Amino acid sequence: MMGLTGIELGGVMFAFMLVLLALRVHIGVAMLLTGSVGYTMVAGLDPLLNYFKGAAYARYSIYDLSVVPLFLLMGQFATHGGLSKALFKAGNAMIGHWRGGMAMGAVTACAGFGAICGSSLATAATMGQVALPELKKHGYSERLSAAAIAAGGTLGILIPPSVPLVIYAIITEQNIAKMFLAAFIPGLLAAVGYMVVISIIARISPEDAPRGIKFTWMQRLQALSETWPVILIFIVVIGGIYGGIFTPTEAASIGTLATAIVAWTSGGLKGRGFLDCLYGAAGATGMIFLILLGADILNVFLALTQVHTELASWVVGLNWPPLGVLMVIIIIYLVLGCIMDSLSMILLTVPIFFPIIMGIDLWGLGADDKAIWFGILALMVVEVGLITPPVGMNVFIISAMVKHVPMKEIFKTILPFLASDFVRIALLVFFPSIALVVFQIF
Amino acid sequence: MADLILSTATDAGPDTGFGQFLGAAAKIFAVLSGITLIGMALMSLTSIVGRTFFDAPVMGDYELVQIACAAAVSLALPYTQWVRGHVIVDFFTAKANNTVVLTLDAVAAALLCVFALTFSWRMWVNMVDLMDGWDASLMLNIPTWWGYAPMVPSFLLLGLIAGYHCIKDIRSLRS
Repeated sequence: MMGLTGIELGGVMFAFMLVLLALRVHIGVAMLLTGSVGYTMVAGLDPLLNYFKGAAYARYSIYDLSVVPLFLLMGQFATHGGLSKALFKAGNAMIGHWRGGMAMGAVTACAGFGAICGSSLATAATMGQVALPELKKHGYSERLSAAAIAAGGTLGILIPPSVPLVIYAIITEQNIAKMFLAAFIPGLLAAVGYMVVISIIARISPEDAPRGIKFTWMQRLQALSETWPVILIFIVVIGGIYGGIFTPTEAASIGTLATAIVAWTSGGLKGRGFLDCLYGAAGATGMIFLILLGADILNVFLALTQVHTELASWVVGLNWPPLGVLMVIIIIYLVLGCIMDSLSMILLTVPIFFPIIMGIDLWGLGADDKAIWFGILALMVVEVGLITPPVGMNVFIISAMVKHVPMKEIFKTILPFLASDFVRIALLVFFPSIALVVFQIF
Repeated sequence: MADLILSTATDAGPDTGFGQFLGAAAKIFAVLSGITLIGMALMSLTSIVGRTFFDAPVMGDYELVQIACAAAVSLALPYTQWVRGHVIVDFFTAKANNTVVLTLDAVAAALLCVFALTFSWRMWVNMVDLMDGWDASLMLNIPTWWGYAPMVPSFLLLGLIAGYHCIKDIRSLRS
């Protein structure tokens, strides 16, 4: 092709795609166009048109992928079912009387909501609506509340079920159940890390975070008992998937129906409620699957040029220290995360980075362990982008709810939360067993 | 992040006639998508109950999920474009003026329109071919073309909505 080698053509087309992205072309369409143009250059237009005949059906009818729209619908029902309120009440009843306890309660509630919802923005948005007014009433500064919930929202993706993890598992052919289990401890660590940050802030500037009221054990049990749907759904979904009782799709089906019942009995589906759930799920589904289709065409082209394997063997051949390679990948993710959403980043970069990671020796991990560990690590790193400027979507969402606090102020208050993210990432880099231990034990 | 992000595309005025029709169609498709998902969930539940208690799982549940998933996903696509929910990177154009943004959005919508219509056309061709043959699924003998039946109109509607958005953006550029 015009005297270009595969890797050169791949590089040129990749640059072309980045230009398209900068020019506001939808991410999925930019991938489609890049992949199509590249495919035509390598193989011709007729083979491309032929490929289009079956590509979309092949991509959309993958059995394991069906959990994605189900999880999205489940998240909608959970949001409409008022579960976020029950979770915040329970968190507050348990630890609200600690210094900064109510903000910590909001973080635990985010973690709980993350266990039935695979989306960070939804977690931040629903928890913001429930917790922000309460925190304000009890004298918490709005900047701390906003920062805590924006950061806590990222637990939505980290704590399984998680849509990007499903996608990662499918493109790297890993076991979804194992991925979910591996995300469990890192997710808990994230929640604990955010709580530590709140506690430190509360000690340095007590005026930001006063103590709440202490509840009696009776009241606590009462509040906890109201979160039963969350606990039940989490046990059924995760336990069922891992125990091999259900396939992930079946578990997601049960979760969807259970949250639908909760939403229905709590009156959340009245009036336009039910339609809003369906519209919300459809909007998010369409968004994800257009990107998936684009990534599919792009990857078919990249595979034709062999750019993945050439790049991987080139990087491996450099003989850099493996940790150095990993650091470069993490830095690329952090930079991209500032301007792109996490799912597109995973779809775009994993086909390229994954062979590299598999080709280098990291802590002597076996192939499957390494693949799962890298998935959790990548997810964690791309999530940081949700709370960093300039395009921290979680911060945008929360900031829209506390209009008189300047966005800059929230970004400033979120810095210590970011620091805890970096500590956690470093821990996971150096101690892969944080992720792997859960399924190694059982 | 797997969420619906309403893009910052400037809303170019109210929808009239054909636009309202497209919007209504996108909403109907979105509802059908959700109902397909709920049906799929109920089918999975039946299969679990059946095989646990009655030793009688739903035959071919795997195949049904595959077809239902493809249907639910493609039926959702037009709605996402209707609410302009497909993700874009607006970092580099955040400070650009309205004319530039509208022009770029019109081009982006045109590209999506071309791709969606091409997909619809190619899948239609494939579906017609499959109808002539005897290709069917293993367990339930479902004709393969059934899987394509919801996808062809979904991509057609996606293309029409993208085309409509393109024209709408250009019109509001002129005014």
